Amino acid sequence: MNKKIIIFCFSIFFLACNKEEFLFNNPSSKETGLVFENTIKPSDELNILDYLYYYNGGGVALGDINNDGLLDIFLSANQEKNKLFINKGNLQFEDISLKANISGNSSWNTGAVMGDVNGDGLLDIYVCAVVGVHGFYGNNELYINNGDETFTESAEKYKLDFDSYSSSAAFLDFDLDGDLDIYLLNHAIHTQESYGKASLRYKRNEQTGDKLLRNDGDSFTDVSETAGIFGGINGYGLAISIADFNQDGFPDIYVGNDFHEDDYYYINNGNGTFSDQLKNYFGHTTRFSMGNDVTDINHDGLPDIISLDMLPEDELVLKTSDGDDNIQNQKLRTQKFGYHYQFTRNMLYVNQQNSPFLETALLSGVAATDWSWSSLFADFDQDGEQDLFISNGIPKRPNDLDFIKFISNDQIQKKLNNTKLVDKEALQLMPSGKVRNYVFKGTKNLEFEDKSDRWISNKKGVSGATALGDLDNDGDIDLVVSNINEEVSLYVNQTNDKSNYLRLKFDYPLPNAFGIGTKVYSYHQGELQFKELYTVRGFQSSSEPVIHFGYGSVQQVDSIKVVWPNMTYQTLKNISVNQQITISPEKTKPFNYESLIKKSSKLFEKVSNNLGINFLHKEDNYTDFNRQKLIPYQTSDRGPAVAIGDLNMDGKEDIYFGGSKFNPAKVFLQKDSLYVEEKIQIIANDSINEDVVALIADFNNDNKNDLLVGTGGADFYDKMKPLLDAYFIQTDTGFTKEQFPKYYENASVIEAYDYDNDGDLDVFIGNNVVSGDFGDIPNSYILQNNEGSFSLLENQPFQNIGMITDAIWDDYNSDGFTDLILVGEWMSPKFYKNTMGSFVEESVIDSKLKGLWQQIIPFDIDKDGDVDYLLGNWGKNSKFKATEEHPLRMYYADFDNNGSTETILCNYKNGSYYPLLGLDELASQIVSLRKKFTTYKSMAGKSINEIFEKSILNKATIFEVHTLASGYLENENNRFEFMPFINELQVSPISSFLEYDFDFDGKKEILVSGNYFGVTPYHGRFDSFPGALIVSRDSIVLGNKLGLEFNQKAVKKLNIIKILDKPYVLATINNDKAQVYKLTH
Amino acid sequence: MKQFKKSLTITAILLVLFSCKENSEPIEITPDHFHTAIDKVVDVMIHDIFSPPVASRVFVYPNIAAYEILAQNDSSYYSLENQIKHFGAIPSPDRSKSINYPLAAIIAHIDLSKQLIFSETKIENHRDSLYNIWEATNPIEFKASKDYGLKVASYISGWMNKDNYAQTRTMSKFSVDSEDEGRWQPTPPSYMDGLEPHWNKIRSFVIDSAAQFKPVPPPKFSMNKNSDFYKELVEVYEISKEITKKGDTSEEIAIAQFWDCNPYVSVTRGHLMFAVKKITPGAHWIGITKIAAKNDKADFNRTVFAYTKTSIAIADAFISCWDEKYRSNLVRPETLINTYFDDEWKPILQTPPFPEYTSGHSVVSGAASIVLTSIFGDNFSFADDTEIPFGLPIRNYKSFKHAADEAAISRMYGGIHYRAAVEVGVGQGRKIGELVTDKLTMVKK
Repeated sequence: MNKKIIIFCFSIFFLACNKEEFLFNNPSSKETGLVFENTIKPSDELNILDYLYYYNGGGVALGDINNDGLLDIFLSANQEKNKLFINKGNLQFEDISLKANISGNSSWNTGAVMGDVNGDGLLDIYVCAVVGVHGFYGNNELYINNGDETFTESAEKYKLDFDSYSSSAAFLDFDLDGDLDIYLLNHAIHTQESYGKASLRYKRNEQTGDKLLRNDGDSFTDVSETAGIFGGINGYGLAISIADFNQDGFPDIYVGNDFHEDDYYYINNGNGTFSDQLKNYFGHTTRFSMGNDVTDINHDGLPDIISLDMLPEDELVLKTSDGDDNIQNQKLRTQKFGYHYQFTRNMLYVNQQNSPFLETALLSGVAATDWSWSSLFADFDQDGEQDLFISNGIPKRPNDLDFIKFISNDQIQKKLNNTKLVDKEALQLMPSGKVRNYVFKGTKNLEFEDKSDRWISNKKGVSGATALGDLDNDGDIDLVVSNINEEVSLYVNQTNDKSNYLRLKFDYPLPNAFGIGTKVYSYHQGELQFKELYTVRGFQSSSEPVIHFGYGSVQQVDSIKVVWPNMTYQTLKNISVNQQITISPEKTKPFNYESLIKKSSKLFEKVSNNLGINFLHKEDNYTDFNRQKLIPYQTSDRGPAVAIGDLNMDGKEDIYFGGSKFNPAKVFLQKDSLYVEEKIQIIANDSINEDVVALIADFNNDNKNDLLVGTGGADFYDKMKPLLDAYFIQTDTGFTKEQFPKYYENASVIEAYDYDNDGDLDVFIGNNVVSGDFGDIPNSYILQNNEGSFSLLENQPFQNIGMITDAIWDDYNSDGFTDLILVGEWMSPKFYKNTMGSFVEESVIDSKLKGLWQQIIPFDIDKDGDVDYLLGNWGKNSKFKATEEHPLRMYYADFDNNGSTETILCNYKNGSYYPLLGLDELASQIVSLRKKFTTYKSMAGKSINEIFEKSILNKATIFEVHTLASGYLENENNRFEFMPFINELQVSPISSFLEYDFDFDGKKEILVSGNYFGVTPYHGRFDSFPGALIVSRDSIVLGNKLGLEFNQKAVKKLNIIKILDKPYVLATINNDKAQVYKLTH
Repeated sequence: MKQFKKSLTITAILLVLFSCKENSEPIEITPDHFHTAIDKVVDVMIHDIFSPPVASRVFVYPNIAAYEILAQNDSSYYSLENQIKHFGAIPSPDRSKSINYPLAAIIAHIDLSKQLIFSETKIENHRDSLYNIWEATNPIEFKASKDYGLKVASYISGWMNKDNYAQTRTMSKFSVDSEDEGRWQPTPPSYMDGLEPHWNKIRSFVIDSAAQFKPVPPPKFSMNKNSDFYKELVEVYEISKEITKKGDTSEEIAIAQFWDCNPYVSVTRGHLMFAVKKITPGAHWIGITKIAAKNDKADFNRTVFAYTKTSIAIADAFISCWDEKYRSNLVRPETLINTYFDDEWKPILQTPPFPEYTSGHSVVSGAASIVLTSIFGDNFSFADDTEIPFGLPIRNYKSFKHAADEAAISRMYGGIHYRAAVEVGVGQGRKIGELVTDKLTMVKK
């Protein structure tokens, strides 16, 4: 008996241990009856070489077609017939395809979506096709639901029988006339070899162009031309999402276009037309745009967007795949051809309500999910946060570098020449692109946790179109995933009753019975969850027409506001969780969309005439990466200098702006009510200099202000004259250039203080980089002022201190002596105690705090009476990864012994350090690597220690960064602890802090600016930080709510200028016009 | 008994003598061995994707090593020492050893080639299979020849590594300025960076400096309809339209494709890309050298001599041509035709990734043809089968000059050059060829 018990226990134990406790189970098709495979058989006549979207897969549409309360499944395939499965309950599905008459007559199908096309309250099915090439025949087909589990193909009747190159279609009522219109998403099929101008999109092509089809009752009319919808020859439309992005009651559209056509962001003008506003709201988009989806990830009632691309995470794949453009080609594409910035990674856009979106995919941890097709937001674990599922994979990787450069040639060459066809065998040489799908758990602060290992199976496959719905009626969200050459997968959510939910269906007047376009605002315990009902999401599929919310352990929802498509609304109160309710319009009131616009007091108002300060900084054409190919970022674009001070001694403050190479510096003198540019010849003379920093002050105590200019630009090197800083003294007759110590450096900061207490201003000059030798540490200097004449200190305390970016004179230890604090890149903030005229470094920070520090300013952020220090850093929204245990590393050495140095940046991943760049980039500088690694595969997956010999690495200097977060040093009895800022301030590098009482409440605040573009396309562009106002640690407001227009601007410096006793904010911007803001309070 | 022992001893001695004689056959090295060695290097270069200028460097140094070894043992050939001003004498051979000079030459050639390419294994495999045969044939001769060959290779390697190649690897990239319309910009489909913008800093062989044969500047860029430049641009466009009308079988297309010699033509189909690879212009003329030597039934030393002199001219031709390319930085026809005439126009050949003036193929063909004429004579007609492995047919030429002229004009047919680049280019090349022929005395007259 005992033995039996023991065996019994063992079995339970065994079973329990082996049972994969994933959030989603995958029952087999045998168990469910859902037998369907999108089988693709490449042949010599048709394969990926002939048709570029050969691997895009089919479609999935979920809907209750027979109104029995169970969600049914429609599947389309490329070469197979369509299938319709009825849900019999208990996850049992029955194939009713024959009876239903939906098998289809087109030879190549793509997306499948469900919607009530004829407005009778029953879900119809629209199936897209590619027709007219490669022998594909047929057309898009429309299956009108007869209500008895049969359908009648009626595409021609409704004028929806297009024979073009269709990907998918979306339903929306764009003219708010009550019926559902259709946006048909088409794609081009030719390979665009030359970029071609962006204006190609204005020339309509019926096969490749998207179409907006207005529902006219019994048929649809193509209104694309009048509606302003592009239908060009270069549109590779692969994904579409509908949402009211600007919350004005009219649905808008986001279209993801593959290759170099930009994505489209169509804002509905409310009069039957749309305007593409992409460049106004997005600083950059995905490059090879595939799936996209919309939801509110941060509980502010605004729809956010994710767009997918193909950036791998796995080192083996990453380092064998073709990467991003180089920076010169990016300039070509954007400046010459008119395209917008595009980068190869996923993008997550956080809606800022009528201000440009924040882009945070890297910060949020969702940027790299390999060749990704469908992205779908839903609260899978029902904890109240939106989670994210991403399907991915491709049968063969056509962008594998070994295949492209080495393997392909031998096989393909012969065949191409002889037969103009490509051998199947040649295709076999491409590596497999089977990968596991991804799922991310949403959290409160814009970050997602990768739960792929815990929530779903890690089986590798090629998954594409995906749809969401509750298939087993247990309340939680399940998934149906279409695969290539494999059975369709069912992901059955096991959350069940562990967490609470609510499902909302709508019973809206015909012809929009399902209430497409309805908005729902759910409030519980002060928390808002917002959703809009659009079923076409992700990629080539449509999900169930139900709104689903998760509530964790909360039992009752305080209120739910339903805003109907006709701009009326009603509120439900005290709704119990764990049920599905059907809501129909009842006692509705008109909804005022204006009420959604959060009225924030705009502290700043742009002055239209800029107060006469029409300064335009123009960067020169120098690209650091041309000279040093591997450096992490540029240092030549840190200007222009700006200094405020009275230059003509008339009691009014004037402005000095530095110029870039060959552009002269400019001076604006304050006149009666405006500033007027004045040419001060001697200052404009040195136009070859790149003026990066400047200071106006009276250095020789003659009551006339002088000017000190620090030069840089990282272009001049060695002992070139333009690297000498300049010192101009003002005399009765104007300015003269004075003697100044000769040191040849790239300046970054000048801060003046009479540190030796002898009555005249001494100066600290911080230098940032050694031109042409990134990694070599420049010297920074204290210049001692002797009655107006500067000299270098005998014993320079700041030789080789670091790559300095900012400095302040401040008494950090409250001992009455003003000390010096330095910050810079690849170093920790350094505190130098002023001990009666000499400087001693003091360690006041306990943790390791090396960063890419850009700015420092003293400020009591926690309002506890002592001074903290705000630190601007690189931000967490980049491909760099840094933690205290696993810092970001930069190896610096002459790796190939040829007299010039290189820098190799490495991230820590899974136990080792890997170079960020691949073989092509590294070998372009270190040619010996081409000998060592004759294939990309041989270097992929190798850590830095496996790539370079120990002897070489041993002679390298290793720079580290422990944190990339901007934040503040909290003062605790003159010891400092670093506290990072909220994620909204980590979106870009921070470039400037400005302290002032902006709202005139008697207390000072800090205005923050940032953004930076001096990186390669690999890193993207840090362009979406809108600035921020820090009132205190817990009170931070983003600049876009305050009237600032910093989006897509690399704001270099913020200053207060005063004219006619009124203060203004002057924002000096790199390579752009300066901006002037009035303080409205 | 004593008699029997004596005959046994004699027999034994005789046997030993005979068996030793079997192992002391000299290793036979034919010109074909050298041709094969060069072919192997060309194969690897195609695989590794060497650009035209860099490929010229891979040819010249191993050839010089082989030549210098032969000159040690053949008084009808003079060493290049003191003829190439920075080249000092190679180590002398140990005359007491039974060095097989052609064998040593091949060994040196293989070793240096291996240093210069990337995929070393391919060369090693070839080398090792030969080594096995040679060693089995005559181990003593093999060892002596190998020792000497590698010694010379090491010496040449030291000399080779001072030619600035390593330094140019990390020099700055060519900076694109798309607002300057006359300035070269990357071209479709790959928009690759300008290749080898610092090639004029490579140490030259016979020309005294990269700019010694600096050509006249190209017609000044202008889109004014009356300007020479504009007329040249239109000419390229018109020619391409005519050729396209004539169709795929036209003679002009055949000529263009025959002299394409683009080591990396990228083909894109959607997300799929692959490379179609071929020999470079320099390699084409190296191939013609092979044909000439074979037709001429040149012996081993003459074969090596021909390759060496030709590859020196080709190497200097690239230095001179690239010097001008990155001085005039002229924009390619494709860029302007797409902007101004027809945004869908594609040249018949894929535009290679470097500035337009002068035409590399023209300069190289001019230089190589002069040198080959000096060796094999005028009116040396031949059938050029170098492009057969790449699916192109044989073409026949009456002389090296004829081939060079056709190579030059082919670049216009291909739609990748204006007329000035090819006409001035081939003249530039000829001057280099003449200088090499005049200055280098390699054969005893």
